[in-house]
Amino acid sequence: MANISKKVSWSGRGDDRGERTPLLNGAEDGKYNRHDIVRSRLKEIPHNAKLLSLKYESLDYDNSENQLFLEEERRMSHMGFRCLETRRWVICGLIGFLTGLIACLIDIAVEKLAGYKYSAVKQNIEKFTEFGGLSISLILWAVLNSAFVMVGAIAVAFFEPIAAGSGIPQIKCYLNGVKIPRVVRLKTLAIKVFGVICSVAGGLAVGKEGPMIHSGAVVAAGVSQGRSTSLKKDFKIFEYFRRDTEKRDFVSAGAAAGVSAAFGAPVGGVLFSLEEGASFWNQMLTWRIFFASMISTFTLNFFLSIYHGKPGELSSPGLINFGRFDSDSVQYNLYEIPLFIIMGALGGVLGALFNVINYWLTIFRIRYIHRPCLQVMEAMLVAAVTATISFAMIYFSNDCQPLGQDNTEEYSLQLFCADGEYNSMATAFFNTPERSVRSLFHNPPGSYNPLTLGVFTLAYFVLAVWTYGLTVSAGVFIPSLLIGAAWGRLFGILLSTITSSQSIWADPGKYALIGAAAQLGGIVRMTLSLTVILVEATGSVTYGFPIMLVLMTAKIVGDYFIEGLYDVHIKLQSVPFLHWEAPPTSHWLTAREVMSSPVTCFNRVEKVGRIVDVLSNTSTNHNGFPVVAHTTENDEPGKICGLILRSQLIVLLKHKVFVERASSRLSHRKLQLKDFRDAYPRFPPIQSIHVSQDERECMMDLTEFMNPTPYTVPQETSLPRVFKLFRALGLRHLVVVDNENRVVGLVTRKDLARYHLGKDGLEELHLAQT
Amino acid sequence: MDLLTKCTFVMACWAVTFITVAECSIYPSEMSGDSARKLPSAVVPVSQASTLGSFYSLSLSSTFPEDLGMNEYCIELLRIYRQRYVTYANCLVTYARPVKVCQNCYTGFNSLEDIYKNISSDQPGPGNVGCHDSLMRSDRLMLLYALFSKLDEIWTSAECKQCLTEDQEALSNDTVYFMATLNQSLACFEQYQRNHTELCKDCKASYKRLKELYGRMDKNQTLCIDLEDAMNITQQLWSKNFSCLLPREETVPVIAVSSFMLFLPIIFYLSSFLHSEQKKRKLIHPKRAKSNNSLMNIQDKFS
Repeated sequence: MANISKKVSWSGRGDDRGERTPLLNGAEDGKYNRHDIVRSRLKEIPHNAKLLSLKYESLDYDNSENQLFLEEERRMSHMGFRCLETRRWVICGLIGFLTGLIACLIDIAVEKLAGYKYSAVKQNIEKFTEFGGLSISLILWAVLNSAFVMVGAIAVAFFEPIAAGSGIPQIKCYLNGVKIPRVVRLKTLAIKVFGVICSVAGGLAVGKEGPMIHSGAVVAAGVSQGRSTSLKKDFKIFEYFRRDTEKRDFVSAGAAAGVSAAFGAPVGGVLFSLEEGASFWNQMLTWRIFFASMISTFTLNFFLSIYHGKPGELSSPGLINFGRFDSDSVQYNLYEIPLFIIMGALGGVLGALFNVINYWLTIFRIRYIHRPCLQVMEAMLVAAVTATISFAMIYFSNDCQPLGQDNTEEYSLQLFCADGEYNSMATAFFNTPERSVRSLFHNPPGSYNPLTLGVFTLAYFVLAVWTYGLTVSAGVFIPSLLIGAAWGRLFGILLSTITSSQSIWADPGKYALIGAAAQLGGIVRMTLSLTVILVEATGSVTYGFPIMLVLMTAKIVGDYFIEGLYDVHIKLQSVPFLHWEAPPTSHWLTAREVMSSPVTCFNRVEKVGRIVDVLSNTSTNHNGFPVVAHTTENDEPGKICGLILRSQLIVLLKHKVFVERASSRLSHRKLQLKDFRDAYPRFPPIQSIHVSQDERECMMDLTEFMNPTPYTVPQETSLPRVFKLFRALGLRHLVVVDNENRVVGLVTRKDLARYHLGKDGLEELHLAQT
Repeated sequence: MDLLTKCTFVMACWAVTFITVAECSIYPSEMSGDSARKLPSAVVPVSQASTLGSFYSLSLSSTFPEDLGMNEYCIELLRIYRQRYVTYANCLVTYARPVKVCQNCYTGFNSLEDIYKNISSDQPGPGNVGCHDSLMRSDRLMLLYALFSKLDEIWTSAECKQCLTEDQEALSNDTVYFMATLNQSLACFEQYQRNHTELCKDCKASYKRLKELYGRMDKNQTLCIDLEDAMNITQQLWSKNFSCLLPREETVPVIAVSSFMLFLPIIFYLSSFLHSEQKKRKLIHPKRAKSNNSLMNIQDKFS
């Protein structure tokens, strides 16, 4: 217990090292603490990873069982519930279908645009190779890249910044129960799809797979609501699903459908949703999610087969196609397993290096490159430099290989090679990353020489680290696979030269696959779902065991240094993310220390003026208010009798449900649950509701609308116990009561998420305004 | 329409082969001893032939009764198949390196294909006997089928059809023209054998023409293995033997442009570090109960 400490200094990183006082302190220390805090209340610090932002709120997963809800349930027939179940299935089918269509659109658009770009540059290079002036081709390439990326970056930076990056961290947070503003809007989807097409066609070191997961999630959130608030269009269907509980279930189906379309891995998609998010899981939901995944991969497959002119030939289940590993050429032997494990460890180390560099780069970006025009400029520069490095590599490479039999290299460059040969560096650089991965996996032994691969790995590693976190929408899966495949293949080639026996070692494609798995595992640290995704994407169950071993090793080794890339970014965005378990060694913390106190409570029958005042107070911005029997004047806490949410109060105020108007309201219809759903999810801000001076004096009866049975805990409950309740039930507010059932405090997500295990034991994160 | 012509073509082929077979049976001198011995059975009715055959075979322990084994007609077909197969295989091996199979073996292939079609068609021959079952499918080896399908596969993968005319009876015009162009280049190479630098300069025009023609034909899909191989050899001559490679002359401008491009981000990051104001976060102190465990403290705070 002695080593547990709390930060007291609020200044930057540098000087908080020495000043630590024990967290479990007596009254004396507490006084000192408070003094210190008061002194520095308005202090500003540079952005860092140890903050919790105020802008994130929880989702309301817990159902409010108020009287309206009970009434509605009474009215609903048995048939009605059957219909609901059927509608859920229909929605899942639609989610899968639309996600598949979007994947198809992205795939075709990228292929077309990249095709135009590469053939233009190729023609130019061929012309200038003969007559001189290759530096002009270089500039042309750089300008084309920058132009594509500029369009994408402008869309993201100026119109929807939340669409930046792969979107997986955001979806992870959403499934964890954090409401990220604007993350599942239609506008975000449009910008995301457009942005990803631009950035992949712009030749950045990115993939189009990660954004698919985000796209699937947005589709799910949109379809399940039966309307779009962005387009102001309400189809009047699926109204029952307009609440966080249902939406979140559908979003997990959408994420699964996205993975499934991206990798052609339906089972992997389901497991991804399981691993990354949904803490609320039952067998029927799983089955529905699987249905959505299957529909999505089938849709993609079907439409791509039409596009390729062979309708009905369902042979491209995912965006990335790793190609088939023939079962007789890829077998592995028992004595290779230690080698695979070594590769896994290497992947873990390289992945950790990737994450550390990206961590510092991201901090720099948040602190200094926060203006949209700077972000666009940065993205353009990266695109230009990517083209430059690629060109220089190709120009100075002396590695020439004869053209393959079936011309797998669509944009092969000859440059200074002999006629009938092509530059093998160009197969890696002058291509979309997906194609490069495939040629690394499948090109016959001898297609690359070791020097080319080594230089390529190094250059691509730097580019990929630099690119991730730019203000463009793009994923990190493919670049990771590509880096891994390059060094894996290099590893395989070196092995076969050392042993010099042309036996089982001879196939470097196998090592490319293992290297790719190791690198990806080292960067994102996914376990179960990634194994299944890779097995499904390569279509070889034979490799299930080695891939699992490699991912395990990579995770163990990588976790020793730093967390996974997605977790790093979640932390840097100051999201109150709840992990599976409370931090260890936190049992001595009780609800009393964790909770916020005092609590703003409302009476069962409350004056409208007070409600409006509390809601409009910008400094507190509370969301849930315990309703107490009655509060006395001297702030003695009252006995709890319910909990009401800000959104409910706003709807009540909007409809002017005041006691004084009850008689006149009889002529009007009674307020129903539907009125609350119609306002969901964008409840109007309190400022937009006009309350006159007369109305301020009215009273409001909350009994009918509050949740009469909120979860409560006694003050002595330990932190892990509170944590478990929160995580398992998806709570948003947990009322802490004393032994007479009087409200003494309120635990919210931010109160729990601030504890985390640092280097010197338990540490607290600071709340900050971002 | 197309189908009709095909049908008539097949019929014509079949008729031609039938005539050949008929001729064969008329001139026994052309036949091998084995079939000659069984010749009489071809002229007697089938029903009698079977009894006769069984009678004959009693004296020859290595042969089977005719209805279980083969009839004359089928044996004849088999013999022709053998002859043509050998001719064609012989041709393939002869022109294997450098590859010239398409130009030289198409007649062989055509005739082999004819006889194969004849055997595999279920049209009954003279005496109402079809040879398809007895020749092709009587045993698990299915030798005739396997042999032909291998050769057919070779022919298909060589893409010889693309160099021949529609009916596979002659070389196509494109092919002939390509050969002519190729010969021009080779003649030019011959001329400057001594001096490679001059060769690179003077033969460039004809070589380039050849390359362009090749590229065009590649797009039109009028290439076959012969042309590909010839082009390959020529390319190797040009690049490896005469080493007419393009010089890497522009290293300096490329380096200059590259380093300029690489320099830009450094300026960008430095300037944004120096000029952009650092983003600060306002810390907020949350409301907390004092850690001392009584309600007194909470009241204390607000009194």
